[in-house]
Amino acid sequence: MKVKTSAGLADIIGKQKVIDKAQVLDRYSRDNSFTPSMRPRLVVQPRNADDVQKIVMWANQTRTPLVPVSSGEPHFRGDTVPSVPEAVIVDLHRMNKIIRIDRRNRMVVIEPGVTYTQVQPALAEQGLRLSMPLLPRQSKSVLASLLEREPRLEPKYSYTLPEPLRCLEVVWGNGEIQRTGEAGGYYPTLEQQWKMGLAQVFSGGPGQVDYYRLVSGAQGSMGIATWASVKCEILPGVHRFFLIPSDDLKDLIECAYRLLRVRLGDEFLVLNSVNLAAILSREADGIRALRDKVAPWVLIMGIAGRDLFPEERVDFQEKDTRDIVQQFALKLLPAVSGVRGGQVMSTILNPSSVPYWKLAYKGGCQDIFFMTTLDKIPEFVNTVFAGANALQYPVSDIGTYLQPQHQGTSCHCEFNLPYDPGNKIEVGRVRELLQTCSEALIKQGAYFSRPYGIWADMVYNRDAANKEMIKTVKGIFDPNNVLNPGKLCF
Amino acid sequence: MALSRDAYRALGDIVGPGYISEDPAVMDSYAYQWLAETVRPNHSKFMPRPEAALLPASTKEVQAIVRTCNKYKIKFKAYSTGWYFYGAPFSEGVIQMDMRRMDHIVEIDEKNMVAVIEPYVIAGVLQAEVMKRGLNCTVTGAGASCSTLVGATCYHGSGGTSIYTGELRENLLGAEWVMPNGEILRTGSVGSGCGWFCAEGPGPSMRGIVRGALGARGGLGVYTKCAVKLSPWPGPTEFPIEGTVPAYRSPLPKNFRAYTVAFKDWGSLFEAYYRLYDNEICYYAHRQWTMLGADLGPAFWMLYQDPTKSLDDIQEFVRKREVKELTEEMRRSFQLVLVGMSQRDIAYKEKVLDRILEETGGWKVKKWLEPEMEQFSLLYLLRLGRKNLNFVYTGGWVGNFMQSGTPDFVKKYEPIAEDATEEYQEKGLLVDCGSDSMMGCVGSIGGGGQCGLEQFGFYDVADKASTAAAVEWMKHCIQEEARRNIPPGKEGMYLAVGKTHAELQRDLAKQPLTHTWQRKIKQALDPNNLGDRMYPTLDEK
Repeated sequence: MKVKTSAGLADIIGKQKVIDKAQVLDRYSRDNSFTPSMRPRLVVQPRNADDVQKIVMWANQTRTPLVPVSSGEPHFRGDTVPSVPEAVIVDLHRMNKIIRIDRRNRMVVIEPGVTYTQVQPALAEQGLRLSMPLLPRQSKSVLASLLEREPRLEPKYSYTLPEPLRCLEVVWGNGEIQRTGEAGGYYPTLEQQWKMGLAQVFSGGPGQVDYYRLVSGAQGSMGIATWASVKCEILPGVHRFFLIPSDDLKDLIECAYRLLRVRLGDEFLVLNSVNLAAILSREADGIRALRDKVAPWVLIMGIAGRDLFPEERVDFQEKDTRDIVQQFALKLLPAVSGVRGGQVMSTILNPSSVPYWKLAYKGGCQDIFFMTTLDKIPEFVNTVFAGANALQYPVSDIGTYLQPQHQGTSCHCEFNLPYDPGNKIEVGRVRELLQTCSEALIKQGAYFSRPYGIWADMVYNRDAANKEMIKTVKGIFDPNNVLNPGKLCF
Repeated sequence: MALSRDAYRALGDIVGPGYISEDPAVMDSYAYQWLAETVRPNHSKFMPRPEAALLPASTKEVQAIVRTCNKYKIKFKAYSTGWYFYGAPFSEGVIQMDMRRMDHIVEIDEKNMVAVIEPYVIAGVLQAEVMKRGLNCTVTGAGASCSTLVGATCYHGSGGTSIYTGELRENLLGAEWVMPNGEILRTGSVGSGCGWFCAEGPGPSMRGIVRGALGARGGLGVYTKCAVKLSPWPGPTEFPIEGTVPAYRSPLPKNFRAYTVAFKDWGSLFEAYYRLYDNEICYYAHRQWTMLGADLGPAFWMLYQDPTKSLDDIQEFVRKREVKELTEEMRRSFQLVLVGMSQRDIAYKEKVLDRILEETGGWKVKKWLEPEMEQFSLLYLLRLGRKNLNFVYTGGWVGNFMQSGTPDFVKKYEPIAEDATEEYQEKGLLVDCGSDSMMGCVGSIGGGGQCGLEQFGFYDVADKASTAAAVEWMKHCIQEEARRNIPPGKEGMYLAVGKTHAELQRDLAKQPLTHTWQRKIKQALDPNNLGDRMYPTLDEK
């Protein structure tokens, strides 16, 4: 039985937290992806975990689909657009408290609405910072970014792929509330844990399940996280950025392997000239001019000195890096074609300016991303470039971002396809390119670990065992399938 | 309860007649387990005898065995290298899968720092192979002779190098799991046919079901392969070995340094933990030598260096003035190995360590700076190949406490551990080696931030009174912990093995949601209930 008005929900959590204005609903009905639009029935804005739990319980009673949303606009993956009618958006952006910053244990506890824009200055006051994905948009929720396993810039600190995420409070799809990892152990409240000196550091369990992993990559379909503990880094006292340009991606990858092997470099990523230009320039002409000027591929490396003797640390690591880079007939440079390392540093250590960097060139952008190992990347680049040529999409517009992860054992590989959303031919071309390239890449061995939109069927059709397992687990934690139905394999 | 002849034949057909047995003598060799005497009636050294033992050679055979077990409703349990008694049958009517034939290193991907291994690949073998390629693996606290796959999937997975190489729980990059219903799950990238490099996804990560803080300890299916992340090893392609048995030494190059660092009190020691976390200089960091007791340990380690001496000579060493001084000097100490990826790196790390010691009032223990002692440390700590020493005093030991947490948390239970042990040692019920016989990781997870202390208690396994005292000590520790609002430690896990179903249910009810979820997961994956209480579940009311 479905309740067609907001009355039931408003009674439960308060009228002021429930929105049914058409203008607001429209904003949640679509995003910047090719996901078909669908207008939600309501938007609800909980203020705390209790609200969230009541909403989920209500959804179970009324069999109402819920779509959790933590970040602000613009959205890009289709995961926040309802897939079924009559859905209620659970917009968590008002739950934006930084609950605790613990310098000694280098932990921060945050609610889902906390953005990088908000948390980094607060952490800096305590001499800390969070590792970030590449230029998150200003409205990007830290918690959502972590749950979606967005790659971080510093592979050396990634002891697990979900790092630096540690513990969560989760309202599961059936309405049960649970704390995960160390936070779900012997002491029931955070306050008691803090009193005992604990700091929600350990992510495993409780017991024999890593619950936080079940919520990760789930696009809000397993549970709604109401806070997370996140491991911080010490704010560097000295921080220098260097660029290693190369005409040949294979050479650069060989060099990257050697550097990763000895864990040199804090920030460590590869951009092609298009993306290097896109992150540094704010408009199309500037992007075009810069991309034509710099080398096709650039390894960006930050070296940080954090606590004791920071200057010495940076100095010797710079020398060690230079020794290695030279062995590959490459150069470790402070600047390339007018692009200074310092300029790159100040850009990528902050959220993107507005408009979001991927939109600056043409106004729209479709991404194709997956995981692989560094050695296989040249083949994938060839595949995407060949696919683009076949569809007459300009290869010179394709941005490429390579992010080694988990201390170099894997690599996030991302292609960015800018397009003009007002140009129907271009839109059609990119849509087709997305489909054909994704199919070709998957066939070639690209691992789409975060299968948004059209990728879900492609991925789960190749892995029936995981699909069955995921559905089994979903049946346990969200038996009525109220959380984001229609996504993934649900 | 013997197996039906039909069932035995069906199982034998899978592995072949040479790899199945129900000979009582052979079965008793599986039932004979360390720690059995702490939970079994009359302190028996035997866990329940398995009905049969099978030695599968492949995932296919394991799957066929599990399917046959489902057909005949036979409980099964896999056993690899063993440690504690968790891999043994807990009841009658169980068949034991002995994984020793699945001992292949399937692949070492040197570039991407990944090894794919079968269950019976021991850490020592894996380490020797990957070192040839300039890599290292996490050797868990169970030592070089234990299975790396088990540490990654079934049990815990921390070791002395975890602060640098990561805990095996963190290093798991994929698992092949024959679930109790006979289906096979391959997690992450390998499930999608993309290779072994990522355990997560696609989408919600079923890696979370494979294991949590702890694995299922054989209670929920069989892991037949896994991939683990490897770490840099800027040393020789094999350990150079010198010295005379038992105190072999390894003269590693100058970019390797081993230290025993000591402090005036516990507060300073734990402060140093924090400073080490913040400065990222450790390759290995562990409290190791104190496992044999802060009073007796130094004498033992000095005695151990002399091949002409035996344990009978320990009193002689205790009386030596230099040993007495050493005992006092290293009373609050732990061990460190610094490894430089370059000469500049090691020089920097040395400088940072010196500053940290200066700040915390710590010092490098001089005796352990002697070249031979340093070389002994390097081999012992990085290889962890002498787990026999855990048993050296009396043949039996249990490790209590070991609740992991921040150093600020761990220092809260350290005095409780000492108090709870003292009277048992004074009465001669446990070896009187000093009330601080605590060892444990300085950083039990990658990058540090968490540590633990495990209080060793040594008892005589041949003496029922001594064994009974060890059990009483464990119960006493739990009481003391409860009185001071500290959760039960490892002793709680040991004793749980011997508890009745009703007792266990009372314990599990303290965390009802966790154990309810585990029940639902088990019901879904093990519909015929062929696993055991090592994957504990709360009964449905």
